[in-house]
Amino acid sequence: MKTDALSQLARLGDNSPLATKGRVATTRTTLPLLVPPCMLACLLGLAIMPAAVWGQAVCLPAPRLLTTLPMGGQVGSQIEVTISGDNLEEVEELHFSHPGIIAVPVKDAQGTTVPNRFLVTIAQDCPPGVYEARVLSRLGISSSRVFSVGNLPEVTRDKPNTTLNTAFSLALDTICNAVMTNQAVDHYKFTAEQGQRVIVDCAAGGIDSKLQPVVILANAQGGDLLVERRGGSIDFQIPATGEYVVKVHDLTYKGGAPYFYRLALRTAPVGQSVPSLPGTRNVNAFSWPPPGLPELAALGEDETIAAGQAQQITLPVDLSGRFYPAADVDTYEFTASKGEVWWVEVASERLGRTTDPAIIVHHVAQENGVEKLTEVAELNDIPSPIKVSSNGYSYDGPPYNAGSTDILAKLEIKQDGLHRLEIYDLFGGTRTDPRNEYRLIIRKAAPDFALVGWALHMNLRNGDRNALSKPIALRGGSTMAMEVLAIRRDGFNGEIQLEVEGLPAGVTATGIKIPAGETRGIVLITADSDAPRGMSLARLHGTAEIEGVQTKRRCFLASMKWPVPDASQEIPQPRLELEVPVSVNGSEQAPLTITPATHQVWEARAGEKLTIPLNIISRCDHSGTTVSLSTFCAGMGRVPAFDINITQPTAEAVIDLAALKTPPGEYQLAFYGSAVAKYRYHPEAVTQAEQALLLAKQEAEQLEAEAKSLAELAKSVMEEERANVEKTAQEAMENHKKAVARMKAAEQALQAATSKAKPKDIVDIVVSTPCSIRVLPVENK
Amino acid sequence: MISRSCFLVICTVAVLTGSGRILVHASESARVISFRNDITPILTKAGCNAGSCHAKAGGGQNGFQLSVLGYEPREDYESIVLEGRGRRLFPAAAEQSLLLTKGAGKVSHGGGIRLPEGSANYELVKAWINQGMPFESPNEPTLISLEVHPGKGIVARGAEQQLQAIAVYSDGTQRDVTPLALYESNTDGLADVTQAGLVKARDIPGRIAVMVRYQGKVAVFTAAVPLGAPVDSVPPVRNFIDEHVFANLREIGIPPSPVCDDATFLRRVTLDIAGRLPTLEEATAFAANSSADKRDQAIEALLGSPHYADYFASKWVPLLKNRRDDASDITSNFAFHAWIRDSLLANVSYDQMVRELLAATGTVVENPPVAWYKRVKDPKEQLEDVAQLFLGVRMQCAQCHHHPFERWSQDDYYSFAAFFSQIGRKPTATRNEDLIFHKRGLAKANNVKTGEALVPAALGDSVGAIPAALDPRLRLADWMSSPENPFFAKALVNRYWKHFFKRGLIEPEDDIRDTNPPTNPELLAALERHFISSGYDLKELVRQMTRSHAYQLSVMPNEQNLLDEQNYSRFYARRLQAEVLLDAIDDLTGTNTPFANLPSGTRAIALPDNSYNRSSKFLQVFGRPNSASVCECERVQSSSLAQSLHLINSAEMKAKLALNTGRAMRLAQDARPDEEKVTELYLVAFARPPKPEELNIALEYLQAPVLDAAGQPMDATAARRQAWQDLCWAILNSKEFLFNH
Repeated sequence: MKTDALSQLARLGDNSPLATKGRVATTRTTLPLLVPPCMLACLLGLAIMPAAVWGQAVCLPAPRLLTTLPMGGQVGSQIEVTISGDNLEEVEELHFSHPGIIAVPVKDAQGTTVPNRFLVTIAQDCPPGVYEARVLSRLGISSSRVFSVGNLPEVTRDKPNTTLNTAFSLALDTICNAVMTNQAVDHYKFTAEQGQRVIVDCAAGGIDSKLQPVVILANAQGGDLLVERRGGSIDFQIPATGEYVVKVHDLTYKGGAPYFYRLALRTAPVGQSVPSLPGTRNVNAFSWPPPGLPELAALGEDETIAAGQAQQITLPVDLSGRFYPAADVDTYEFTASKGEVWWVEVASERLGRTTDPAIIVHHVAQENGVEKLTEVAELNDIPSPIKVSSNGYSYDGPPYNAGSTDILAKLEIKQDGLHRLEIYDLFGGTRTDPRNEYRLIIRKAAPDFALVGWALHMNLRNGDRNALSKPIALRGGSTMAMEVLAIRRDGFNGEIQLEVEGLPAGVTATGIKIPAGETRGIVLITADSDAPRGMSLARLHGTAEIEGVQTKRRCFLASMKWPVPDASQEIPQPRLELEVPVSVNGSEQAPLTITPATHQVWEARAGEKLTIPLNIISRCDHSGTTVSLSTFCAGMGRVPAFDINITQPTAEAVIDLAALKTPPGEYQLAFYGSAVAKYRYHPEAVTQAEQALLLAKQEAEQLEAEAKSLAELAKSVMEEERANVEKTAQEAMENHKKAVARMKAAEQALQAATSKAKPKDIVDIVVSTPCSIRVLPVENK
Repeated sequence: MISRSCFLVICTVAVLTGSGRILVHASESARVISFRNDITPILTKAGCNAGSCHAKAGGGQNGFQLSVLGYEPREDYESIVLEGRGRRLFPAAAEQSLLLTKGAGKVSHGGGIRLPEGSANYELVKAWINQGMPFESPNEPTLISLEVHPGKGIVARGAEQQLQAIAVYSDGTQRDVTPLALYESNTDGLADVTQAGLVKARDIPGRIAVMVRYQGKVAVFTAAVPLGAPVDSVPPVRNFIDEHVFANLREIGIPPSPVCDDATFLRRVTLDIAGRLPTLEEATAFAANSSADKRDQAIEALLGSPHYADYFASKWVPLLKNRRDDASDITSNFAFHAWIRDSLLANVSYDQMVRELLAATGTVVENPPVAWYKRVKDPKEQLEDVAQLFLGVRMQCAQCHHHPFERWSQDDYYSFAAFFSQIGRKPTATRNEDLIFHKRGLAKANNVKTGEALVPAALGDSVGAIPAALDPRLRLADWMSSPENPFFAKALVNRYWKHFFKRGLIEPEDDIRDTNPPTNPELLAALERHFISSGYDLKELVRQMTRSHAYQLSVMPNEQNLLDEQNYSRFYARRLQAEVLLDAIDDLTGTNTPFANLPSGTRAIALPDNSYNRSSKFLQVFGRPNSASVCECERVQSSSLAQSLHLINSAEMKAKLALNTGRAMRLAQDARPDEEKVTELYLVAFARPPKPEELNIALEYLQAPVLDAAGQPMDATAARRQAWQDLCWAILNSKEFLFNH
């Protein structure tokens, strides 16, 4: 009967072919799962097998500061900052790249240091901007994390706000620090008055976050009004006084600790320019600006000139313009003479814009009243000096791109007369963005160079796609290789010497120069085996003789924002670093040290064989007995790889100068390869944990005995004292229970430390201590 | 030596009188039988050069290759006369020619008898062979057009109309080619046509069209098949749409249904604009609103809501092939979907949206329409998709041969492809994802048949010389968004018309051609004009359509318009599409369907790509497209047993009904009177309160005892839960719920 009634209901109004007459309402059954959930989980697990389950890990543990919360603060304020990271034990110090930002550990009421919490003071005179925070820990100086300083008051979102009902209230002219909730949308609300101009901006990628922010301005009911997904800000004039909502989420709704952001709600008078929240610079920005360039261009694009008309300029020129509006082509005309050589440099991408500038230069002539154009040059792109990683199956180049879509090229004038230069954005056909600025410089040759470096990456195993951040946190007896690339300006072709200054005690650096005409060099930073624990801020630079003048240029350092173990799953995001701290940890030494037997200049005559005896110090077991060594050197020729037996204390490197045809001269070289160490992470922690456990056990036993004794005593004492004794016995029992809990915690800590300290196969780059050789001319007999 | 004797052929030539009536005069002229003008049409009519027969790609049949529908007569001539070691023709005894013996079925022929011995066509071929097999005669005129007589008219239901096909030649002569022409009805349900050109109208009133083809030329016969019923009154005219719809109904005598009631309108327009059911609050407020313009108010509110953007993005996303082929596609897919959705939310003009897509450059994250070039990499596919999606023109055929229904040649095809010839690609850090830039240079594409390098031209229109520095795609976008463009606006308004009215004015909606005329040309032209003059404003287009009384007609037919399927005399009900239905069920049951990587509460209409089809049996069963095709037909809107079973008995539906926080469980625990709660359920499901009959049935059901599986009475709490679940279940299985009506 019930079924019939329901059928009747379901049929009311039915007039379609999708009739479901005659079915029984109360016989709904559950369809069986075809695949058991456990099997499904296994199948899924196979598909998303993390790199960690590989038998062999890549790169020895390095200290990495991954998050700070909050991610910044207001000038002149004091805030409590919580940090987290990888391989961070015994954190001594939170260091900032500006002396106006100082941190001290937070202590609890008992005066005990609270782990990973610091009280940060931002000086009143600290300029707003982005800085770097690092920690000094057991393994040395960590990788950096951006810390922002601003003028606005700051808050930290401290409760879930993933629904309209739980929207977090923000005052205008405030910056909110928050961590994106996974698979959710964070909600904020604010009140504004009609006519007020509110700018909503969200800093993420520029402050090292993995978040690709989507910012939505919505009405009080949560209905979307405006959306910004490309890193820009929402500039909104309030139509009616009332409450508004800002929603923030990741483009693909990811969240968690690495997905932090700083949301700014700013007001400004209509028409006033409001800069974006500050951020770090891309790697390719190292080559901008050319030395000595004024901050502001001497000339500006005349935007009143109609499309197709040319702005007259005189060379040399330094001007700024915009690729605006869409499909904008800016045309400039100048006069030049046959044989003149000019250098053209354009910056736009290196200014942080997502543009691809292109230039076409024509010679303009008139023939019988008709304009005749002859193409002189098409200019485009600054290529990377070496192949960049394709994030393919295995390592095929560094995951850093020193090239740019900008322009740096020679312009040779072939004919006298008028020339027309058209500059446009190859990405700008449909994009109308007034922020897409460019700076165009046409100059006589000013030969120079710019340098950028990063910790060397190389193929460490089959399918290796690691792109890890590598702080210069040295182990005693290790040598770290930095790959350095040069962008050469205006025809400079000479060799560039690489140097490092300001290293801590026991640390030395050797530059394998960038030879004339080439673009790659190596800097090797070596810690003595017995180097004391220390940290200092170093300076990398290159020197070269340019037109008879010794010229010194800073070498910028780049690093990954996040350690990426598998670049096929996560695109590595590098950036330029602000400073170059170098540390030696003073406690843990390199698993393998290869060093020339004596510290000397090794001499041989051209055409001879040079044998360099090597000492091998292996401080732990290794997988395999031989290591294939290649050679870092410059100008000697390509030294063939050779094997050494690392189970033996010594080996020899034999360099056939005849085969290499090495010309006489002095050379720096080092041997490098990779070795698989059976590495134990922080074995001292096991001993410490054992001692802690022992103490905890002793304490627990002592308190247990005490409690039992008091309990016995309570039975025998006088009635009037019994209550007191029983109370004391009860307290003792409580203390005992707490001690047992501490003992269990100590057991777990020991278990964890023991587990981490188990030998684990880790493959890493091994570089020998560098040495010098002198190739003497062939002796005349 | 082949005899080349002269042969007289008597032709019947038809000429037109001023009245449009065909007068046939027998006139004689002595002429050479021409392969081009006489034999090729015979081969076409006989089907010899059909794509499935000797024009099949890759060698035809058994080595005998002809061009499709005889578009390359010179090649066909060589194939018949010169190839096959001359064995296909036997001039010494024409009837022994393989062409005739095969065609007449005297020897084994896979295609059967195509030229019966003794038939006029057989004799003509034989005469041609005897004549010496000339390709053409000196100064032979060329065919320049085809006419069909009558061109249009009125055909009574069940009546017949003989068509006459007239070929017009370059020398001014005309020829009756009725027996040789090919005929095809564009409206199979309304009219049939024989291969002799006899049109037979069926019993359904409407507008019919018959396409006539002859030697690459096409003509079309259109006619009204009136019902002839008196149309005493039509609803008040609200805008130009009503004018044209009702004028057509008066002309063919189909009285429209009345305007629907408020609740039906609210549900209909909310589903059509926002892809969701009206909320309880909206339904209640709308019923209480006494404003005269409350329907317009509702339309405005919906157009201003983000659900409008979500829903129409879900319409465009599959057509733009936002497909997840690899896990790493997620970022580009989300970005591309978001770009479409945000553009609709901001009401970016349609021409600007298309421009941004067509000429996209850069990386996907920075400029999401670049994602289209990630998915559609082949320039040929790019042109075909653009033509079909934005212009309603299907160019695919013209890649290999002249389009059989259209005027597009291979030159048209490749000159259109030339717009996409300067797309530069560079790999990015993301696997299989290039950045796109304009590669400087003169845009050209080679006609693979002639080898000629063609400069860009837009479906026969010159777009002028394109300098090397200019991205030719920008010029294409200029051409498309020109107010004079005959395709661009038409294709869009027709597509949107279909969205709101179920049937396009042209069907299929992306097959616009001269030979596929609209059912209401004046209406289509008016929509096109309005859309262009509004600045390609999509919301304004939706506003005009939904404000019209034509859109607001009741779904219930009257006695006369029951059979009408193309004149919009009533609202044509359609099943909710997969995503909308899933959301509607969630709204009714008070549940959320979880989707990977998306926040809880994300509606199915807001899904960014096709990947969710793999995990949702519901979306699969109800035909959510997989973003593989540029055709809306990839979305399956038909009904199936699997759909019924899923709604009736799937674990998914059971779980939704039984969820502790769901509507059924909440209502079971709600202390309000059952009458109020049933009313809530109906308002959510149908935007209307229950009718007394429905209310009685529901209350009776709720109060009846419930037995468990063992036949024992359930305890009161469990029984109420079960009863409310059953009630929800019954409603969601009703056709009123499953359909927009």
